[in-house]
Amino acid sequence: MVYLKTPEEWQHHSALLLQARPTTTRITTKYKIPNLASPKYQKPNRRKRDGGEGEQKEQHTGSKVSRAALVLKTYDPESGVVLKLKTDKAADVGRLIAGLGRLGRRMAALPEKAEEAVMEDAEVAEQAAVGGAAAPTGKETTAAINDGKAPQAPGGGGGGGGAKKKKKGKK
Amino acid sequence: MAREHLSNDDFFTQLVTLIETTHQKGHGSVYLTQKRLTYGTSDPSPPTAKVPDDPLWDLHPPNPLPLIVRATDGKSHKLAKEEGADATGGIGRTKNGEKVKLSTVVQPESIEAFFTRYAEVCKVGMRGLRRRDRSKRKKKEKGKKKGLAEGAKP
Repeated sequence: MVYLKTPEEWQHHSALLLQARPTTTRITTKYKIPNLASPKYQKPNRRKRDGGEGEQKEQHTGSKVSRAALVLKTYDPESGVVLKLKTDKAADVGRLIAGLGRLGRRMAALPEKAEEAVMEDAEVAEQAAVGGAAAPTGKETTAAINDGKAPQAPGGGGGGGGAKKKKKGKK
Repeated sequence: MAREHLSNDDFFTQLVTLIETTHQKGHGSVYLTQKRLTYGTSDPSPPTAKVPDDPLWDLHPPNPLPLIVRATDGKSHKLAKEEGADATGGIGRTKNGEKVKLSTVVQPESIEAFFTRYAEVCKVGMRGLRRRDRSKRKKKEKGKKKGLAEGAKP
């Protein structure tokens, strides 16, 4: 399982996974309001209190209000790949749902909109090589897509795909 | 317990209620899932039938496929008694008959409209997230211009 750092990164990798396994991949969005009274949120406090720099951290957690969070998860049961993104920024919600729409189009096997393809290229400009192959137009491109994707999201290879992805994400 | 798929409109109405009840409770989760609809379609020969020899069997279906979008409160189980809550985990849990489960099928042609509305519902419903911190920026704007140039980036 990989936690990706930015929404753009998550979007990009999810798109690649979806491209490789459009039928089995699912995207789950979890909106969570934590229950601060539950034991889960009491324990870490205690541990920090015992630690050396306990006081500082205690102050930090003391002022903690019930902060909702959004966790997006792209999961392909066939290869076991999990891509996660956690955010607590309200500003991300609209962008992420728009991203879900874009990924939804891929799920439905609809062609990408031209402007969206351009946007995505801009988002992942540093990965230009992969981005260039991210616009499926016909069967001829299948091989090219897979070549481009090979280091990140190998189409076949079941569990192996998951392992490679993990390594990539940790870098 | 909705076994039947809801219409997109009903789905949104009930999703709003679901998010609202979660807010009223003060804690809890809402799970939203989307995936390609691969069964139960009226199409007699599903375009997504698996071809064992071809690992790329599902990459280029001839027709666009519908999506299924689900929403749940994630409460599959409920604790039978309060004592059941301690370390034993699974023991003391029973199936929760009142689990909220919503699902709807989104046709390819209505994806655009669906997600526009979906974004609206989520933006309105998902409160409690961190707002953009404007107070910090204001301070920096008042300060030196150098500080503004640096502070504007993060």
